[in-house]
Amino acid sequence: MTTCTRESGCPAVEWPGAVPLSLGAEESVGSTLMSEVASTEEQAEDRTARFERDALPYLDQLYGAAMRMTKNPTDAEDLVQETFVKAFAAFDSYTDGTNLKAWLFRILTNTYINSYRKKQREPYQSSADELLDWQLAEAESHTSTGLRSAEMEALDRLADADIVEAMAALPEEFRLAVYLADVEGFPYKEIAEIMETPVGTVMSRLHRGRKLLRDSLADYAVERGYVPAASVSGGEES
Amino acid sequence: MSCGNHHATPCTEVLSLVYVYIDNECDEVTSIDVTTHLEECGPCAEIVRVERVIKARVKSSCECTEAPETLRTSIVTSIRATYYRSE
Repeated sequence: MTTCTRESGCPAVEWPGAVPLSLGAEESVGSTLMSEVASTEEQAEDRTARFERDALPYLDQLYGAAMRMTKNPTDAEDLVQETFVKAFAAFDSYTDGTNLKAWLFRILTNTYINSYRKKQREPYQSSADELLDWQLAEAESHTSTGLRSAEMEALDRLADADIVEAMAALPEEFRLAVYLADVEGFPYKEIAEIMETPVGTVMSRLHRGRKLLRDSLADYAVERGYVPAASVSGGEES
Repeated sequence: MSCGNHHATPCTEVLSLVYVYIDNECDEVTSIDVTTHLEECGPCAEIVRVERVIKARVKSSCECTEAPETLRTSIVTSIRATYYRSE
């Protein structure tokens, strides 16, 4: 196996017998003369090259999402590795021209929930959709007290690390919905397909996730002294 | 919450649409109604502004994660190994 160097960026053409990607392999080889075996080999080769060319560029994005799911680099790497292996095995079932990014994210999410997540032996589900009433009530009360300009100012002063931490603290399904919508920019319909839930559930998760996120950002702002407690967290009543 | 003024689309309705609005998931007519309302109503406009800022901050703070090169190499190795096994 050829060792990939950083400079080369592991191009698909490095390995022995590879078809140059620009060649348009099937048309260029005189397909009428090819035996069935040769044709099959060609397809397998071509499929590998196509996968590396089309799917591999999503590596950074999938890794980013995996980091938010698992919250640590080692597990994120394992998850992404497993995702790509599964995706490659199923690449025949992927229809060219459809949304490859959404397809890969769906495999990632599925792998995380169904196999990886079980290994962690933590309870999944239920936490998010049955979020404690008081948490939601608290989030609602924060939004109803107004004082947007103080919030805006505080938001500007919060560090990226604060936002990342607040995201990490969200219940899993909320965090994932917010991540897919805000970071990856997926439309609701695609998030629904990725998370295998109805669109209404996606909307509800986004709604509740964002309220909680905003609530904890307001708390950070108070903790950091960016705004007085009374101006952000419903202080009039307290 | 309401600003107390009369609008063609009431504040309560606009506030229920804040997320679908900033996510560009409203139909065109609703989107125009909300935009019109936001031009007239300071408190609602402020809420939408804050939500947009949070959305943008989430994106900018969470998106820049580069996968380690060793992971890329390892994935490519697995894929090619699968290919050679299948031959």
